[in-house]
Amino acid sequence: MYPLLELGPVRLSSGGLLLIIAVLIGTWLFERHARQRGGEQLVELAGRCASVALLGALVGARLWYGMFSWDVYGRSPGLFLAFRIGDFAWPGALAGGALAGYLWCRHFGISAVELADAAALALPIAQVVASIGLLLSGEALGAPADLPWAVYLSGVARHPTQLYFAAAALVSRALLAWGARSAARPGMLTAFYLGFQGIAMLLIEALRVDSLVVAGGIRVAQVSGLLLLLAALWWQRSHVVAAPS
Amino acid sequence: MEKVAILSHTDNNRRWTGGLHGARDILEYMPIIHLRRTWDAFLITTVVLGSAFIWMTRATPGGTVVAPPAAAATLPAPFTNHPAPDFTLTTIDGTRVRLSDLRGQVVLINIWATWCPPCRAEMPVIQAAYERFHSRGFTVLAVNQQEDATTIQAYLRENGLTFPALLDGAAEVGVAYQARALPSSFFVDRRGIIRAIYRGPMSRGVIDGTIEHLVAETP
Repeated sequence: MYPLLELGPVRLSSGGLLLIIAVLIGTWLFERHARQRGGEQLVELAGRCASVALLGALVGARLWYGMFSWDVYGRSPGLFLAFRIGDFAWPGALAGGALAGYLWCRHFGISAVELADAAALALPIAQVVASIGLLLSGEALGAPADLPWAVYLSGVARHPTQLYFAAAALVSRALLAWGARSAARPGMLTAFYLGFQGIAMLLIEALRVDSLVVAGGIRVAQVSGLLLLLAALWWQRSHVVAAPS
Repeated sequence: MEKVAILSHTDNNRRWTGGLHGARDILEYMPIIHLRRTWDAFLITTVVLGSAFIWMTRATPGGTVVAPPAAAATLPAPFTNHPAPDFTLTTIDGTRVRLSDLRGQVVLINIWATWCPPCRAEMPVIQAAYERFHSRGFTVLAVNQQEDATTIQAYLRENGLTFPALLDGAAEVGVAYQARALPSSFFVDRRGIIRAIYRGPMSRGVIDGTIEHLVAETP
C-alpha cells in the first residue's frame, strides 16, 4: 500500500496520480479510436465531447457515492465538494459520463453511437491504470483471503479485487478489439462493453468489503452490473432476432 | 416451429468462408441465436441467476472472526506489525489518556490539524465509523498537531465530532510516529500492534473495511 508518493518535499496521492494518468490515456485512446473509426471529423467531435463526458463522470461519481453514503454525506454536505479521491464511485462515473456525453451529442444533433463505440474501446485501458491506482492507495478493499496471490492491505491478506478488475478490463479490451475487427454494427461495441462491465461488476464486487450498500446489505454496484448486463443483452436481442417473415 | 428469417446482411455475399473473423460472424452463423424465444429465456435466466447471486453475496455485518497473526515484532515502532509506541497526552477537556490503557480495544490514531483540508474532509467519515463501531470495542485518538484547545474545541463542536481529541503541543507523538504527512493514520489492534498505516486521506471503505476486520479479531 503506497497511498502517498513522496518525491522530496512533494507528496502526491498515488491513487489520484494514476487516476489522472488514466484519464489522459483514456482521452488519448478515445481520440485515436475515433480517428480510426470516423476520420478527422469524428476526432474533432471526440475532443469536444471528452471534456463534457469527463465532467459528467466526475459529478456522477461523487453524487453516486454521496447518495449511497447518505448517513455521512447528509450530515456533512460539504463532502460533496471535498477534494477526496477515495469518494468516487465507478458506476456513478459511468452513468454520469454517458449521460453528459449523450446530452451533449443530442444538443448538437450528433449521433452518439460512433463516439460511444470509440469510448468503449478506450475505456478498458483507462480502467486498468485506475485499478492499479486503487491497489496502490489501498482502496476498493477485497475480502480477507488465504490465497497465494492475496495482497496485504490494511493489515490483512486480501483478495486483490483491484487486480481482478484490471484483468477483467484487459479481457474485455481484447474481446472488444476482436469484435471491432469485423465491420461491427454501430453500437455493438458499446453494448458489448457495457455487458462486460456488467459481468465484472456483478462478480468481482461480491469480493469487496467496502461496497456501497442499500437496505439488507445489497451491493449497489452488483445491481448496476446486472442492469448493465441486461441492457446489453436486450440490445443484442433487438438487433439479432429476426423479424418474422 | 418458428420461422427463422435470415437477416439481410447474411445473404449470399456473406457466406461463411471457413474462419471466424469477429464476434459478429459467430452471431450471424448460429441460427438458434436469431430466435426471440432463445433470447427471452436467456434474459429471464440472467435476471433470476443474477438476482440470486446478488442476494447470496450481499454484505453481511460483523465479518468473520479470525485470530490475529501470531508473529509480531517486539520493538515498539511506528511500522506495521510492531507494537504501537506508547504515549500519554491530554484531551482538550483535560483528561490524560495513555495509549497502553486502551489495550483490548481497536484504536485509530489519527494525526491531524484543523488547518489541513484533507484532515477536515475525513473527519465526518471517522466520526461515522466511531459511532458505528464504538460499542464493538473501537475508539479514535485524534492527535492534533500543535494547535490550541480553543481552536480544536470550536472545530469539533461545529462539526459534531465526539471522539477524543488529544493535544500534541510539542508534536512529540507526531515525531515518534514519523507523521511527515497529515493526516497520518495508524490502526492498532486489540493487542496493541499496529496493523495498518495510512498516510494521506482515507476513503470510507478503507476505514470501515479495516475496522470491521480488526474488531472481529479475538484479543
